Amino acid sequence: MNYKPGICTFCGTGCGHLLDVREGEVCGVYPLQNHPVSKGRLCVRGWNIHELLRTNEKIRTPLIRKNGTLMETTYDKAVGVLVDNLSKHAMADAGEIGFLASPRSSNEENFLLMKLARAVFKTNNISLDSDPGHRRSLDVLHRSTGMAGMSGSLEEISKAGFILIAGIDITKQNPIIGSEIHKAGRAGARIVTIDTRNTQIARLSGRFLQVRPGSYKIVMAYMAKVLLDEFLTDPDFIKKHTSGYDGFAAVIRTLGEADVAEKTGVPADDLREVARELARAGTAMAFFSSGISGFDQDTISYIYNLFLMSGKIGREGSGVNPITGINNLQGSYDMGIAPDLLTGFQPISDAAAVDKFSREWGVTLPAAPGRSIYELLSGGGKPRAMVVVEHDESIITNVNEIRDMDFVAYIGSFKNNFMDYAHVVLPIATYVEADGTYTNTGRRVQLSKKKLEPPKGVKPGWRLYSMIAERAGAKWGYGSPAEVMEEIARLTPAYEGISHRRLEGTYGIKWPCNKENPEGTARFNLEGSSKKIPFAPVDSSFRVPQSSDEYPILLLIGEAQHYWHQNNLMKKTNIPLREYNATLLLYPQGYVAVSPENAREIGVRDRSPVKIVSPYGSMEAMVQVTDKVAKNTAYVAYFVHDMITKFFLEHRDVLKRGEDATIPVRIMRV
Amino acid sequence: MYIIKKGQVSRIAKELQKDYRMYGPVLEPETQQVMFTRVDDAADIDLGLPLPANPVKSAVFPHFERIMSYVYDRQDGKVDIKPDFDDAPKALFGIRPCDLTGILCLDRFFLGQEFVDEVYRNHRKNIFIVSQTCTEPFAQCFCVCTDSGPGAREGYDLNLTDLGGEYLVEAGSEKGKRLAEKLSLPKSDDSHMREKEKRIDRAVSLFGSIAKENKAWISRVVNRVTTGLIDEKVWEYIGSQCLECGACTYVCPTCSCFNIAEQGTGEDAADRMRTWDSCAYEGYSRMAGGHNPRKPVEDRRNKRFFCKLSYSQSKKYLRPGCVGCGRCAWVCPGDIGLPNVVTYIRREIQK
Amino acid sequence: MSERNNTTIPEIATIEEIKDEIVEVKTFYLSFDGRKGGSPPEFKSGQFVMCTVFGAGEFAVSLPPSPENDRFHLTVRKVGKVTGALHDCAVGDKVGIRGPFGNGFPFDEIKGKNVVYVAGGIGLIPLRSSIMHVMQNKEKFGRILLFLGARTPQELMYQYNLKDWKATPGFETHVTIDNPVPGWDGETGFVHTLLKKKDVPVKDTVAFVCGPPVMFNAVIKELINIGIQEEHIISTLERHMKCGIGKCQHCSIGRTLVCTDGPVYTYRQIKTLGEQI
Repeated sequence: MNYKPGICTFCGTGCGHLLDVREGEVCGVYPLQNHPVSKGRLCVRGWNIHELLRTNEKIRTPLIRKNGTLMETTYDKAVGVLVDNLSKHAMADAGEIGFLASPRSSNEENFLLMKLARAVFKTNNISLDSDPGHRRSLDVLHRSTGMAGMSGSLEEISKAGFILIAGIDITKQNPIIGSEIHKAGRAGARIVTIDTRNTQIARLSGRFLQVRPGSYKIVMAYMAKVLLDEFLTDPDFIKKHTSGYDGFAAVIRTLGEADVAEKTGVPADDLREVARELARAGTAMAFFSSGISGFDQDTISYIYNLFLMSGKIGREGSGVNPITGINNLQGSYDMGIAPDLLTGFQPISDAAAVDKFSREWGVTLPAAPGRSIYELLSGGGKPRAMVVVEHDESIITNVNEIRDMDFVAYIGSFKNNFMDYAHVVLPIATYVEADGTYTNTGRRVQLSKKKLEPPKGVKPGWRLYSMIAERAGAKWGYGSPAEVMEEIARLTPAYEGISHRRLEGTYGIKWPCNKENPEGTARFNLEGSSKKIPFAPVDSSFRVPQSSDEYPILLLIGEAQHYWHQNNLMKKTNIPLREYNATLLLYPQGYVAVSPENAREIGVRDRSPVKIVSPYGSMEAMVQVTDKVAKNTAYVAYFVHDMITKFFLEHRDVLKRGEDATIPVRIMRV
Repeated sequence: MYIIKKGQVSRIAKELQKDYRMYGPVLEPETQQVMFTRVDDAADIDLGLPLPANPVKSAVFPHFERIMSYVYDRQDGKVDIKPDFDDAPKALFGIRPCDLTGILCLDRFFLGQEFVDEVYRNHRKNIFIVSQTCTEPFAQCFCVCTDSGPGAREGYDLNLTDLGGEYLVEAGSEKGKRLAEKLSLPKSDDSHMREKEKRIDRAVSLFGSIAKENKAWISRVVNRVTTGLIDEKVWEYIGSQCLECGACTYVCPTCSCFNIAEQGTGEDAADRMRTWDSCAYEGYSRMAGGHNPRKPVEDRRNKRFFCKLSYSQSKKYLRPGCVGCGRCAWVCPGDIGLPNVVTYIRREIQK
Repeated sequence: MSERNNTTIPEIATIEEIKDEIVEVKTFYLSFDGRKGGSPPEFKSGQFVMCTVFGAGEFAVSLPPSPENDRFHLTVRKVGKVTGALHDCAVGDKVGIRGPFGNGFPFDEIKGKNVVYVAGGIGLIPLRSSIMHVMQNKEKFGRILLFLGARTPQELMYQYNLKDWKATPGFETHVTIDNPVPGWDGETGFVHTLLKKKDVPVKDTVAFVCGPPVMFNAVIKELINIGIQEEHIISTLERHMKCGIGKCQHCSIGRTLVCTDGPVYTYRQIKTLGEQI
């Protein structure tokens, strides 16, 4: 039987598939019918994953830069150089080194990288990429429910009577979750999309509200106000299961109703109707993008509070569900990839947790929270050495700072332009060449078993990290990734009952998996519980980005047509690359999407070159004329290299606001 | 016409195993999914398993294969080209009439028309087909709407029909006859044929109660699809639900579009790979330079169903392009498998 | 059914000479390694071949040479990865050729008729083969006219051929540039406007049209306007191609496959294909 069950590792849905493995090579893929999330479906990426796994563009040997060129070497030598350099800079000041982990690495790999940073090199400077998008969602959810993950359940989408999709092009980002929502709609659920762009799910929804950029927060706050004013909250639920409602109610009362329509761009009546539908539905779910272009914390808090006051948290078929676009983004946070968190969202400030880790690891952990790579690179510090795992260079906006560093190490499976900045390159096996677990956006921890041998001489990530630790003087002694998971389970309450042995042959376990929930946890549950969870604190500034006569268009930044974050992986395939290029080759320097009316005003046609001018800078691009964006809104794809490295450097503060990021600009014909 | 005791039917597979690579329906134990795939031991094949999740075409038209490799030495001016065709003998054991019909369509397409496809011809050269009659439909089936089941009429070397305690073994070719004789199978008589007809009739009658997921009165829409007299709005409605994943074309037993791509193996050296492609994708028809004649998703939906249902296209297969297996309906994220599309078109015609 | 030994596996050809045509367009003269005298496989005007650039990939390219007495060559514009790699090749480099594929121009059916060629930009390349053939067999046809349009004088293809054609009695050539340009004292305006101005035969006339889609539509409209019938307007269509032998179906338009039923079609056929071109 050459079809081996596995999980797709592109997006955060974690679809199940069967890989056709013959004579040590992947020859094809087929969807898994009985997988609880994907149920026999795959998207264009999932259907062509075998092309990625069969690419010849892999890093085959360790490399060291000598006289400007990367030369082949051995693991021994390369690890030696890495350890020497990191130790040197770590000893000087542990704040001078940083670890940039990958949201694509397995849980075991991320855990070991985190252990390497903290226990061996004594630094808390470990993080994911530049923007803490998903972290904001987790902060909001964890603060209230105690669970740093999706509060609802992907498997219960068919049970939701009302589904709100806010600011996420879900049929392109996580297509199978989009499919599940669409099917629920066809079976009678009410689907409402609130977005600045006319996306596919918007067109398939029962109702679509095209809102002005930056106004999501007001939309959510106003809907909360409607529930408050029209007595449509769930007062029993609020009384029994929540605290702090009065504080929240006081804030939303301050929302001036008069200018809601103007600020949001939609009639107040429409918002009222949607609020009422939400309240009256027995069950409801919210979906929004969580990741590099997710919402800011306040907006997420309003969404959460809106659902909480209407009793749509903690019940079957309900929940607030941030959606991660990358396969193990959720797992990365579970594994403590953050400057101030250990595994399972246990903060460094929690003495008991730190003590537990110290005893398990036999070391004293660095006490002060570290800084994220983004902060290190742009916060005025002088980072001297960095270890980067599996990252596109296009994600990094601080290329100059990286070039200035004394030492950069790159660890990854596939060839990558980032290697141009590295002094040492260390290859690791791909996800089918080693056992590893991955946690999808629904908290489902799934085991991917090794299906073939890595290229000759290439080590799996867990062995490489062990080798680095050993070289630096630590004795780890793991015999397998399963043993790594055993340690994770000892240190992480939510993963307590998870082991490779239990995961083997199943479709995964949803954490928390512990004594109270031995089979895992479908959703955050309040039924039958006497827990009272707090409303999220919110602020009452209801400003929206303003355009002006000089800068009449609001420019949005977000994920591209197909959210294939790591373009690098796509470049290794044939068919997904062709699809990706179908848009990108048409606009080689990147595109800015404008509405037909704006195009007419500016005097340009599709693919005409334009100049985009903001108060702080300018850039040139081609224009894409589309009716997906409303008048006086423009949209630019985040991952077009030149755009982020030049234009947006001036607008870093804006970028931090993710989906709400808007810059007022003027667009002119060139 | 022969018979073989039910418990003995594996003798046929074991005999074939001596000369052929065996392919058949197998249950993947961890996920309980039935896949049609290569087996090392003929004993692993279970004829009683439900319709496999994947179509049989992957045995003669693999998902991803190398068809040629070359090395070009620019200094010496020498090119070394090595074709890499797979002509190993294969036995497809226990395939259902819908999948068999799919193979016949592929035969007529790849081996007929203007040119013969060498890659396919090599795969197909030494194939032994043992099909089986379906005595019961599955929930997703609608082969009765596409004239491709529940009993196969042609294209097989041996056809098995479960008659209760024994299998009726019909030889459809010299090869099949020789194998039956070699195994000294007892000859059947009229009563067995009559029993087979009864079982097929019974299978057809069960469609109403079991095969409830899909119905597709294809004959009613062939005309409209062929002439193109379908309101644009219907295609826009269908297209709006398409997530452009390509699944429908990949799981379809008669879909045969492929892509050719070169994977570099060194300087001026590459493997030429052939892989399944899908007309559902935007880049499928995109030309160098950017012009894309089939850009809107509704145009691509239109093209796919033209390919499956139109009269002009079925001339290439000598029968409709759909075999009623129901797989596209299962895998479609947007719920626009062929049966639903036919329903939408018929609704519009009726209006 | 055609059986040949290069339908799937390419045969090797050597680049004997490279000529620069207009900007980004080069002509590559090829000799076939495995054939007597290096001569090409038999081909007809209007057909195309699949050309492999080793290390880069394969692409479809129409055949400009006349089958009779013309050195075998390919004229290729650089538009992407594979054509770019071909442009980087030098004399002596090897390429792979599969084909020829496709139907050809229907010369037998147009004997005795007037022939009008209308070409836009590099659309002249596939028509060249036909023009050379007709020129070499002038007595079989009536009047022969060529209308050639380009954006600028620098983008006029085959200027060395044009000189000969202009000088040939019985061959009427008209050249136009889209917009007036200093130094150009010929006709200006889009090529379809020329059809209005000049004396174009209508009765017993066949028109060959090739060019970008926008030009194509305008020219067809004009030809029909002046009275040429749909089945007497012939064009060669382009499509993304991979196999060239009617199997991969990338080149499909409605009920037809451009690589086997085409690439030469009459306008009457194009109208009934079932999809836009």
